[in-house]
Amino acid sequence: MPATESLAELLARVALRDRRAFEGLYRATSAHLFSVSLRILRNEGRADEVLQESYVSIWHHAAGYHAAAGTPMTWMINIVRNKSIDLLRARRTEVASTTEIGDEALNVAADSAGEPQQLLDDSLIKAKIAECMRTLSSQQRQALALAYYRGMVHTDIASALNAPLGTAKGWVRRGLDQLKSCLEAAGVSGV
Amino acid sequence: MNYLLPVRLDRLAREYALGTLAGPARRRFERVVRSSAAASMAVDVWRRRLSVLDLAAAPVQPPESTWQGIERRLFSGPNQSASTATPIGGALQALRVGMEPRFDALPASYVGVLLDPVGKAALVASSRRQGRQLTVKLLQPLNVPAGHVAQMWALPKDGAAPFPVGVIPAQGTSRLALPDTSEKLFFNVSRLAVSFEKAPSNAGDAPAGAYALIGNCVKVW
Repeated sequence: MPATESLAELLARVALRDRRAFEGLYRATSAHLFSVSLRILRNEGRADEVLQESYVSIWHHAAGYHAAAGTPMTWMINIVRNKSIDLLRARRTEVASTTEIGDEALNVAADSAGEPQQLLDDSLIKAKIAECMRTLSSQQRQALALAYYRGMVHTDIASALNAPLGTAKGWVRRGLDQLKSCLEAAGVSGV
Repeated sequence: MNYLLPVRLDRLAREYALGTLAGPARRRFERVVRSSAAASMAVDVWRRRLSVLDLAAAPVQPPESTWQGIERRLFSGPNQSASTATPIGGALQALRVGMEPRFDALPASYVGVLLDPVGKAALVASSRRQGRQLTVKLLQPLNVPAGHVAQMWALPKDGAAPFPVGVIPAQGTSRLALPDTSEKLFFNVSRLAVSFEKAPSNAGDAPAGAYALIGNCVKVW
């Protein structure tokens, strides 16, 4: 990922309506943000639409970035995740009467943005908490991965993993609890 | 329902940050987050935790048309630069494209943008090239320790010792009287900074401690 320091400076300049800094920010971050949207929407056209809306929002709200929201990349990822999740769910409501919802939302076949489970495992290794997170069952880890990378809600996760709704909720909750504990144990700063 | 009970707030914040909070509950909680600092902070904490899950994400290059679409959405409308850009932004854009109408540009000026230690823009300083006033706008309140003043310094680009510019307020916008024109004072200055001092500094003084804010000072013409 691009250096946090340079992104913070670019974002500060974008807050002052510096178009060149805005393009620099786009060039430095758009490939990461596009992958976020692609993972959730799994459709290039819709991911592209969300990416454009997200940068329009970043341009307008750059002054609202504050360090408590995490790194500039974390702040931007959350703009993209929110918009992607909103579009995913709006679209599912729209097609619910004519389409089998599960077909699109639950298709976890490989795509250009990576498999949720593999991405989770690789990220945990990079965060140096992989060992700690291994105390979770594979289903608990998978539930966390599907929620975060695919934007799935509990009912989707329950269907995808063929489990009762209450069980799926418990897996997600346990996954988050363990993530918090592992980060605290690892002393990850700012968490 | 009281969303701000600690246990409930943490549960909602983490479900919201993860994305599993859905439908009307998600919309309701978004409204709470917008109006409550505690809720906003709780969401931030979970977003920071979850951000480690992005560490291994492989980038996927979007098509070039994406950037063109963004530019079109933001900048192609009539009078767009005049209606949405700040004066400084307008001037910087004018410098780059060189085609903006003259009335849309700032007069020749020195402009400084100072960042706080976490890289957030905290102060904008500007002065006309031949002016004797420096306008200082705090973008966020400055936490000046009791018994201290916020002293602005100019840092010459040749590495010479910083010289004091004036004492600035902790918030809002103010104008400092300059001892000479900006052109004479800032011609060789590449950065501005703010430190906390026990008393206003005089020529020849040096900053007592670390800079609370620092940033580039540029010529706009």
